[in-house]
Amino acid sequence: MRTYGGALAFFAAAGLAPLLVGDAFLRDSLVLILIWGSAAGAWNIAGGYAGQISLGHSAFFGLGAYAAALCGVRWNISPWWGLLIGGALASAAGMVIGFLSNRLRGPYFVIATIAVSQVLLLGASRWRGFTAGSEGIPVPFRPGFWSLGIADKRIWVWIVLALALVVYLAQVYLERSRRGLQLAAVREDEDAALSLGVAARRLKVVAIAVSAAFSAVCGALWAQYVGFVDPLYVFSVDLSLRFALAAIIGGLGTALGLGSHLIGLYLILYGIALIVMVRYAPQGLVGWLRGR
Amino acid sequence: MRVVNFAHGEFLMLGMYAAFWAFTLLHADPYLTLVVALPLFFAVGWGSYALIMRPIVHTSHNVQVFTTVGLSIVLQNLALVLWSGDARFVRTSYYGSVISIGGAVLNLAQAVAFALAVAATAALFAFMRWSYTGKLMRATAQDRSAAALMGIDTGRIYALTWAVGITCAAAAGVLLAPIYAVYPTVGLQFVLIAYIAVVLGGLGDMAGALIAALIVAAVEVIGSYTVGTAWKELLYLLLFIAILVVRPAGLFGERGSETLGV
Repeated sequence: MRTYGGALAFFAAAGLAPLLVGDAFLRDSLVLILIWGSAAGAWNIAGGYAGQISLGHSAFFGLGAYAAALCGVRWNISPWWGLLIGGALASAAGMVIGFLSNRLRGPYFVIATIAVSQVLLLGASRWRGFTAGSEGIPVPFRPGFWSLGIADKRIWVWIVLALALVVYLAQVYLERSRRGLQLAAVREDEDAALSLGVAARRLKVVAIAVSAAFSAVCGALWAQYVGFVDPLYVFSVDLSLRFALAAIIGGLGTALGLGSHLIGLYLILYGIALIVMVRYAPQGLVGWLRGR
Repeated sequence: MRVVNFAHGEFLMLGMYAAFWAFTLLHADPYLTLVVALPLFFAVGWGSYALIMRPIVHTSHNVQVFTTVGLSIVLQNLALVLWSGDARFVRTSYYGSVISIGGAVLNLAQAVAFALAVAATAALFAFMRWSYTGKLMRATAQDRSAAALMGIDTGRIYALTWAVGITCAAAAGVLLAPIYAVYPTVGLQFVLIAYIAVVLGGLGDMAGALIAALIVAAVEVIGSYTVGTAWKELLYLLLFIAILVVRPAGLFGERGSETLGV
């Protein structure tokens, strides 16, 4: 229980904070922190637990964002459907990447994931008739819970808190369950895991698909919250890096790393921190603190 | 070296900025800058190896990937802070002048860049193939411990290989400066094509990479002619992903090299 105490306290504090804090800026920050934290957690399922380092996760995030935005703009249906559609599309894309992960290792896989996100970026910014091209889509604001047009930031905090909780529980599951341990075995030594009868390939594909689906849900909620989808942003390598950095600085394969991107460091310091981290504390801050 | 440098594009970007600043402040022609830039970036490469790469060169791929990614973020944002995000141009006096070779009309800067790039590639190829140091580099890449046992100073060879790679990237940047605009994130679009060419050709296979680069260029040109210029990048990225699915070792690479993670 001790290991989860910190996380429980964090979630409880985040859930109560909007009741205590009236400041719109702080509430806004909290919503975005929870969205980015969930996205980092989603990345961590593939990158940390399955060991499939991807720098193309913005592909899934962007799919979710576009699915939610297009549901409102093109078909006039609830963006909640966008969550589902985006999640399904991203899982399908995740399976493609998962398939690649069975054929490629190390830097090859990383380059392939960047290529996939670039394909979606180019597709979204060039297919003007459907995605409105590189100028992006403003998401229409329709008041009501069902259409996710919510002006009250407190409700937003609770919606994204629910998402963060689900992502966190998925990570706890991976830390405690038999499947999670099998996945860790695949990450540490795939050949050894295969020889012990672990279905390594299927596990990796499923892990990446789940990670992709969560990323898409983050993207869909982000699009509805921020109100604008820009292909050059939602599919960018920078965004993929942000997910990866938050998870790594927090600690690869540790569920508590979730809130770590609270460190609002400037990007140069981020880069230096990354170089220093992987050199001296490859377990991340949480791992480093636990080792003390 | 068996290390994929994700900051490669950023060194190319630095090369472009070097050409831009030399041109703007000193009115130096980019091709003159090249003479100074080569030793300068060799030193930068050697320094960056000693400072950042040496401690992690024998660690896992993930550590290497993220160290070079971190380096790339630092360099990109350093350029952003120092020189702002504006797109900048090198406007030489001969900008826009063309030459005609056998009926084909070429932009002068592009033609010179092409000629120098071919010369540099040939020189690098000859260096790797026939020089003693090139032989040491290839031996170290093939089997580090065996090379060390033969008395090769593998640490020095790694530093040298890294520095040569950085120098080539920066030289490409200087040559590209008169043709393309310079901005802090310019590296990605060029380096993505470079990765694709290298993976298509098979990692560590220079002739393969050269042929693959020609294939990428052909796909780009034919694609923009038939499908439309808007979709040309999409075409070679899709080709790249398709090749990775069908033949991950690349067109000319040794089968299985990619799953070893080389």
